Amino acid sequence: MEKSLLKKEALQKLIDGVREKGGRFVAPSILARQVVYREVDCADQMVHDYIVPRNSIKEFLFPQTEPILRFRLMREGVEVEDVRVEPERTVFFGVRPCDAASCGAVRKVFTWDYIDQFYTRREDSSVMMTIACTSSDDECFCTTVGVSPEGKEGADLLLKETVDGDYLVEAVTDRGRAFVEEFKDVFTEPDGAELKAVATPEPIEGVNIDNIIGFLKDRSHYNSEIWAELARKCVGCGACTFTCPTCRCFDMVDEGTYIEGERRKNWDSCQFDSFTLHASGHNPRDTQFKRWRNRFMCKFNFYPVKFSARGCVGCGRCIRVCPVRLDITEVMIEVSEAARDV
Amino acid sequence: MEKELRERARELLESGEVGVVIGYGWNRRKRRTTPVFIRKPEEAERLVFNPLCVNNLSVYLTRKYPDIQKLGRAAIVAKGCDIKNIVVLMAEGQLKRDDVYIIGVRCNGVVYRQELWQGELRPEIMPVKCHNCDVREPHVADTVVGEPVLFTPPEEPVGMVFDKIREIDAMSPEERWQFWMDHFSRCIKCYACRQVCSLCYCERCITEKNMPQWIETSAHPRGNLAWNLIRAMHLAGRCTFCGECERACPVNIPLNIINQKLVLVVKDAFEHRSGYDPDTHPPLIVYDTEDKEDFIK
Amino acid sequence: MEDKKTEEGWEPKIMAFVCNWCTYAGADLAGTSRMHYSPNVRIVKLPCTGRIDPLFVIKAFENGADGVLVSGCHPGDCHYTSGNYHARRRWIVFKSLMDFVGIHPGRLHFSWVSASEAIKWVDLIDRITEEIKKLGPFMEYRGLKK
Ligand code: SF4
Ligand code: SF4
Ligand code: SF4
Ligand code: SF4
Ligand code: SF4
Ligand code: SF4
Ligand code: FES
Repeated sequence: MEKSLLKKEALQKLIDGVREKGGRFVAPSILARQVVYREVDCADQMVHDYIVPRNSIKEFLFPQTEPILRFRLMREGVEVEDVRVEPERTVFFGVRPCDAASCGAVRKVFTWDYIDQFYTRREDSSVMMTIACTSSDDECFCTTVGVSPEGKEGADLLLKETVDGDYLVEAVTDRGRAFVEEFKDVFTEPDGAELKAVATPEPIEGVNIDNIIGFLKDRSHYNSEIWAELARKCVGCGACTFTCPTCRCFDMVDEGTYIEGERRKNWDSCQFDSFTLHASGHNPRDTQFKRWRNRFMCKFNFYPVKFSARGCVGCGRCIRVCPVRLDITEVMIEVSEAARDV
Repeated sequence: MEKELRERARELLESGEVGVVIGYGWNRRKRRTTPVFIRKPEEAERLVFNPLCVNNLSVYLTRKYPDIQKLGRAAIVAKGCDIKNIVVLMAEGQLKRDDVYIIGVRCNGVVYRQELWQGELRPEIMPVKCHNCDVREPHVADTVVGEPVLFTPPEEPVGMVFDKIREIDAMSPEERWQFWMDHFSRCIKCYACRQVCSLCYCERCITEKNMPQWIETSAHPRGNLAWNLIRAMHLAGRCTFCGECERACPVNIPLNIINQKLVLVVKDAFEHRSGYDPDTHPPLIVYDTEDKEDFIK
Repeated sequence: MEDKKTEEGWEPKIMAFVCNWCTYAGADLAGTSRMHYSPNVRIVKLPCTGRIDPLFVIKAFENGADGVLVSGCHPGDCHYTSGNYHARRRWIVFKSLMDFVGIHPGRLHFSWVSASEAIKWVDLIDRITEEIKKLGPFMEYRGLKK
């Protein structure tokens, strides 16, 4: 059964089924006046009319703070205990195609020179139920970076809303097929449901991703004046990186008392001035625009060139959340233009 | 007003009186405004002023921005409430009056919930600060642009923030604790609240002191509480209630409530209102031998 | 160290941040005079109340204190002239802040105790120990996820 139907009335049954088997069900829901992805236990907690949730799904795969080892001072010395993640299955419902696409990029980094099992195990035990977008806003620009609002990248199941508020489900991966099979009493025959129209944001005029990559790769542009001009207003709040689905930088800290504690992996952000601060006091990225330049480099140079991945999936979160409205698409236009000029 | 604003900016740049005009411009789709740094007279055309200009640009005057300081003396487009922060910076010795040319803009209020903006300023979309504003006519400025504003703030402050403070004051300690833990537990320790605040100008914030680690950097309720308490404490007697921190908070923590609470405490205890007089010391660096001490047993 | 509210014989842990010149000397006098007072207080001596950062109090709660006492020289007696006046201003604000977030006022105490006030110290400690005992262990703070 490649295609099936998920009735909105059947959602509760699906949630219950997943939870009964020890899994968690993550879906868009309202928290503090915002739509966020979060764990729900009841279909009533879910919202269906949303564009892009405030947070990305990364916090469920790469938690903001997580212990990686524990230590304790004993008479004989320090006892160190490894933390091994044995994640429960996480079903992500209502993931936007841009978010689903981001996982591939993050995975590339976490499996590059070292397999970070904290991430891979979680991702491997998740089921991604992507829903194609039926609305978009000014900030969505997936199509500009090659992601489609009905794309299957990263999805195990691709859902499309029907005019009745049900979902036409298409299995994309084996994991998705197995999931439908496992809950076959929840999914029903599709029998010609009428679909809502997919909302496709217009690709932004004047942006050429290849040109951007080319421009960034050329080191002579690293100290170009355009960076200060484009990013001077950044206040370094880090909100963009914390909400971005492909940002995955972290910091290690030891927390605890003098006798016992944990080593933790916490989200970090290249927008913080201490991110590159050396112990000597020297800071190679000593002004904010240089930190912002790094973010742009990361998305359009390091990710595609080093990891052959898409660093930006066009979700637009960084634009929505930025207190000074530093719009990455405006920079993309300017850099595309600068690339044409050289 | 924009004509006046642009003319003033152009003159200042042409005469070389300033090296940069920090103001507001449109974003690409002209639906939001964004900070702009105008350095050439002909670029003054980019300046705009309208109710979408929420940012408190005074943050760019602080020592955190050496690259902006390098652009030369700055002129800044500032609403009355933004000027309050500039005044505090002066009171704290961060700026001298001559370091900055203040282009005060007369203001009728700004839009807090910009997604609801449809070209018309309505009370429901304005922040609480605007409803109680006594500086719509800029109080410290080198020049003032815009049409005179007729507005008298209510005698007793009104708005959701004040209602909420009363509500919390009436709660039991357990309920208050619950209220704040529900909020603080969402904090993601992004420090956006700190970064947008022009009064958080420390080059090294206490959260970054890690020998010892005073405030835990992990985003867990315990560390979040410590951070939010200390942030509020460090702003006590200084915060002008400009609201930037709450606006910037990506997870909607009602920082205005805690800030305003301390504004009220400080006003009550020391009769101090920050942001009005550059020559008055911030209340927490001075003292009065007669300060109340009924709680000291 | 899991102590429950109901547990018999539970004793509160109280952190006292005191200045070196007055309150510490006062507590010392109580000790050398062999006066008895509740053994629940752990004293941290600092040069002056002006040196007592609100973070110390937060740290104390984070580390499991059920109550905190901050104490120094009486107004006018500060060894550094004005440290306690500055501290007093800070406390006014800090106390309101802690109240506002729901930390029971009975868990945070402020006092002036001079070098000669051993009796005041003894009474103070006994009184706040009683008060904190009534409130029980500070499970809310200790229970915060960390
Ligand atoms: S850079 Fe911005 S638009 Fe791109 S993926 Fe990250 S948050 Fe989304
Ligand atoms: S370097 Fe910056 S932009 Fe890149 S992943 Fe890390 S935080 Fe995100
Ligand atoms: S959200 Fe905006 S201001 Fe904050 S770090 Fe990102 S670009 Fe800079
Ligand atoms: S507080 Fe006053 S000056 Fe500031 S935006 Fe509102 S009305 Fe304008
Ligand atoms: S703490 Fe918030 S409201 Fe107060 S001055 Fe800073 S940004 Fe403005
Ligand atoms: S802006 Fe909000 S989420 Fe970020 S650190 Fe401040 S309170 Fe926490
Ligand atoms: S020395 Fe005791 S309070 Fe200053």
